[in-house]
Amino acid sequence: MPATQKPMRYGHTEGHTDVCFDDSGRILRVHGEKNGKLVTAVSNNTIQVHTFPEGVPDGILTRFTTNANHVIFNGDGTKIAAGSSDFLVKVVDVMDCSQQKMFRGHDAPVLSLSFDPKDIFLASASCDGSVKVWQISDQTCAVSWPLLQKCNDVINATSICRLAWQPRSGKTLNIVTWSPCGQYLAAGSINGLIIVWNVETKDCMESRVEKDYSDLFDGDDRSNAGDFLNDNAVEMRSFSKGIINDEEDDDDLMLASDVTMLKNSSSLLKEEEEDDQAGGIQNLPLLTSQKPFYNGPMPTPRQKPFQSGSTPLHLTHRFMVWNSIGIIRCYNDEQDNAIDVEFHDTSIHHATHLSNTLNYTVADLSHEAILLACESTDELASKLHCLHFSSWDSSKEWIVDMPQNEDIEAICLGQGWAAAATSTLLLRLFTIGGVQKEVFSLPGPVVSMAGHGEQLVIIYHRGTGFDGDQCLGAQLLELGKKKKQILHGDPLPLTRKSYLVWVGFSAEGKINSFIKIKDIFSRRKLFHYFNCTPCYVDSEGIVRMLNRGLGNTWTPICNTREHCKGKSDHYWVVGIHEKPQQLRCIPCKGSRFPPTLPRPAIAVLSFKLPYCQTATEKGQMEEQYWRSVMFHNYLDYLAKNGYAYEESTKNQAIKEQQELLMKMLALSCKLEREFRCVELANLMTQNAVNLAIKYASRSRRLILAQRLSELAVEKAAELAATQAEEEEEEEEDFRKKLNAGYSNTATEWSQPRLGNQAEEDTEDSGEADDIEEKPETHNHGQNSFFKNANSSDVLAIKSGAVTSSNQGRINPFKASAASFFQKGASKADKTEEVKEENSENSSSETPPVCPQNTENQRPKTGFQMWLEENRSNILSDNPDFSDEADIIKEGMVRFRVLSTEERKAWAAKAKGETVSDGAEAKKRKRVVDRSRETENQTEKAKENLNLPKKQKPLDLSTNQKLSAFAFKQE
Amino acid sequence: MDSAEVEFLAEKELVTIIPNFSLDKIYLIGGDLGPFNPGLPVEVPLWLAINLKQRQKCRLVPPEWMDVEKLEMMRDHERKEETFTPMPSPYYVELTKLLLNHASDNIPKADEIRTLIKDVWDTRIAKLRVSADRFVRQQESHAKLDNLTLMEINTSGAFLTQVLNHMYKLRTNLQPPGGAQSQDF
Repeated sequence: MPATQKPMRYGHTEGHTDVCFDDSGRILRVHGEKNGKLVTAVSNNTIQVHTFPEGVPDGILTRFTTNANHVIFNGDGTKIAAGSSDFLVKVVDVMDCSQQKMFRGHDAPVLSLSFDPKDIFLASASCDGSVKVWQISDQTCAVSWPLLQKCNDVINATSICRLAWQPRSGKTLNIVTWSPCGQYLAAGSINGLIIVWNVETKDCMESRVEKDYSDLFDGDDRSNAGDFLNDNAVEMRSFSKGIINDEEDDDDLMLASDVTMLKNSSSLLKEEEEDDQAGGIQNLPLLTSQKPFYNGPMPTPRQKPFQSGSTPLHLTHRFMVWNSIGIIRCYNDEQDNAIDVEFHDTSIHHATHLSNTLNYTVADLSHEAILLACESTDELASKLHCLHFSSWDSSKEWIVDMPQNEDIEAICLGQGWAAAATSTLLLRLFTIGGVQKEVFSLPGPVVSMAGHGEQLVIIYHRGTGFDGDQCLGAQLLELGKKKKQILHGDPLPLTRKSYLVWVGFSAEGKINSFIKIKDIFSRRKLFHYFNCTPCYVDSEGIVRMLNRGLGNTWTPICNTREHCKGKSDHYWVVGIHEKPQQLRCIPCKGSRFPPTLPRPAIAVLSFKLPYCQTATEKGQMEEQYWRSVMFHNYLDYLAKNGYAYEESTKNQAIKEQQELLMKMLALSCKLEREFRCVELANLMTQNAVNLAIKYASRSRRLILAQRLSELAVEKAAELAATQAEEEEEEEEDFRKKLNAGYSNTATEWSQPRLGNQAEEDTEDSGEADDIEEKPETHNHGQNSFFKNANSSDVLAIKSGAVTSSNQGRINPFKASAASFFQKGASKADKTEEVKEENSENSSSETPPVCPQNTENQRPKTGFQMWLEENRSNILSDNPDFSDEADIIKEGMVRFRVLSTEERKAWAAKAKGETVSDGAEAKKRKRVVDRSRETENQTEKAKENLNLPKKQKPLDLSTNQKLSAFAFKQE
Repeated sequence: MDSAEVEFLAEKELVTIIPNFSLDKIYLIGGDLGPFNPGLPVEVPLWLAINLKQRQKCRLVPPEWMDVEKLEMMRDHERKEETFTPMPSPYYVELTKLLLNHASDNIPKADEIRTLIKDVWDTRIAKLRVSADRFVRQQESHAKLDNLTLMEINTSGAFLTQVLNHMYKLRTNLQPPGGAQSQDF
């Protein structure tokens, strides 16, 4: 007796009938109960009688060819009427099943039936859209109204379309219900309006809008939208004055119908009965007047809080989380209520299975812990449950109860902490071990949260959105040692009429590649997916990423809808990676989210910034360039926050960007866009500008080359200025160190920008020497990059000059450009040095260093040394030369005439000088004399400047490579 | 060539796996594989996939054609056509066998797939037999067989050629070239 053992969901007054679907929706049971008998229509197409309440089968009443959809008793319980999907309606005598009457005439499955109280008529509604009233005695159709929307099957019917007769007089209404006493009429409309009229007085007793449905269910994928907003269950209240709406109590089907149907049904009333009838009709204007007349923008229902990477709550099998660490699935069916946790990387933890007795609804997963939370029930408070599997002690879990009337709405995990946002607009922070930390108020109801590393991003409702838009705000907090807020509740840009579907942090693909310097000291092994840039996805499939390089703005980086084949296909995002630029998501055919079975497979999408004209080469390169810039912003962020990272990554990025710029420059050159070339050169590094100059002069664009060299000089000056500033600051810092009695080794002298922080740390923690070495090398790497950015540029100017003279081109302009450059560079050097001296003077009050030092600085190449010596000769030979460029030109010509040996000798001389300079400096360093210390320092600075020279061969080769590629473009 | 060798060749076919470990690119003579990111699909040769699966280091993603609906269509098509139809993979039998033997838990409806592939295989082998039979009966000198996979050729190829050789010998011996030589004994 499976049918009767199912719990009936509603208590009915005598003789009422109801329909309930079982889970699959395939088997349909219709119950009617009267006079100690229970009638069921079961899926084997029969109508069966059972004794009630024992539930023993008492014979089959009738059979259909398919399922029966509705069974009812008549008023005195002697007959039943049954409507079936085979388009038939039968009326059967309960006592004698041979007394059958068949009603043919519907062209689609019968939805619903109703006896009139006097047993004269039978009303039936069908999927063909008609409502018919039959004369029971002769089985003729008395009247037929096309009222409903047509559909092909019961399952697809938008309305169960229950009919009701007024108990005493017997009128048919469609969406309205009569109260048992016959005095009141209740109507429900699809937009949630429920109105009760008093039939006698024709007054509106009560009206109420429960929920605005029409706004929720527009758009192509109605059910999904509905799922997401979780609003489809309308709470029905029983009305005062004994009115029971037993129509609207089925969750699966929508409410009866809309206003037009009401109109129809009321006109129907008029037709059928004249007496006492005007009720329905005259109530109509009342109805419309009840509706507030407002045509302006309508407020959007706020989207419900959600966990990123989860599928809707109402599903029996759902994903609670799918992120870069693993998957949490939740099964909530009849046999089982359980949670399955699975890790992508089984080395983090093995898969686990938990029973879900507390009915957890939200979850998060990190490489340290599993976090679960449930809402409060009548007896139990809302709970936060953490399974801290990476704990080294034996107790691996903790549970915290929320205060009364406080429900957890969103949770997230970071490194070493957990956060929970509650319905009382509080954000509670916990350590991963269960210590309560800060609590603060949220500016609005939370939508979603995401955490990773030290960062926490909270998305909340800033206010009410209108016309389908959501009004969201974002807070980004850093919860490390230095706690600070980066985004102060700034508005979160969303596509129009969309809502948020995913929020999280981009992850760098490799484990262990980012290790905080400090962690090396503590020698802690770290599994570290380094996540740093917040990203989010809206329901239109636009992925946006925080652009730290542009004042924390949001830039769209991908449109997943562009990759979809069908209109209703979507990509369900599970992760974003910066290092290999990947958007990891699951393709869903015809839905927004994947089912748990079959196990969905991840697809990888590439990013594409929405730049114009990406079909053209120019647009493509622009897109690539800015994407590269965008996706390497995180390196700067890392550097700023004291994380070590692979320098090669940064260099690679810079190289890639410069290459792209170079290509764009070549392209603009080809298109005769010289102004654009200069603009592009503005984005380049010093090194690339040199190449650009070379490129321009070779392609005989003299004006451009001149402009570019001006630009190069400007850049050099700027650079020198910033460098000097930096040095000043560091000097200060450094001096403090000195005073603290820190003994400096030679390397530290020459590298004043070594991570002071790290040294401090070593000192503080008093670590052994072997450890000290490690950070040193690390810092060195980091620092040398730091410096390279500056020094390599200074060097680049020089090397540019050198290569140009060595290559022996007879392009007078170019030579002059190079030397011009050179001048600029040396000027920059000089200013730098002067600044340095100034800073020294102020701090140590030593006599100014003799200017000879700066003089020594200048000759850098063999040619220049030679030129210095032979300048007078040239001048005497050509007294008309006033321009420096002319002198250099002439000098070039003469220098070229020299034999190779001679030239080599000059070059050696130039080098030798610097080397001896360096050696001298080293010798002097040992001297601790205070007065000489300052001198020492200037020497040091000089050495710094000379240092890059030793790297020249390497730089030269890259230069050549770059230039080779640049020329390939020609 | 025996079937083991054919299977060996089939093991070079690329299949998609989802690893549950993290490993950088591995450099092999046959080419670079990886990098392996937990949870992210990656293409590897079948031999590696099976090896990893046996060590429970990955989940296999069945090839696109290994789907009941597609295979049913393929089977029906194969039955309808007189000639051999093109197969989704030149190693469909080997792949199915190896994947279903080692990773049936990752392949939905494994049993149905096994049956379907067996059906296709039987149909094709039957066709091959019939055509070989006709070929021999009608004493054709050549025949064209398209869309046969290596394994299928291997089942009857060697045997057929041997048989043809023998038959040729027998036939040539029927016409007595050297008169009644045998009678001499």
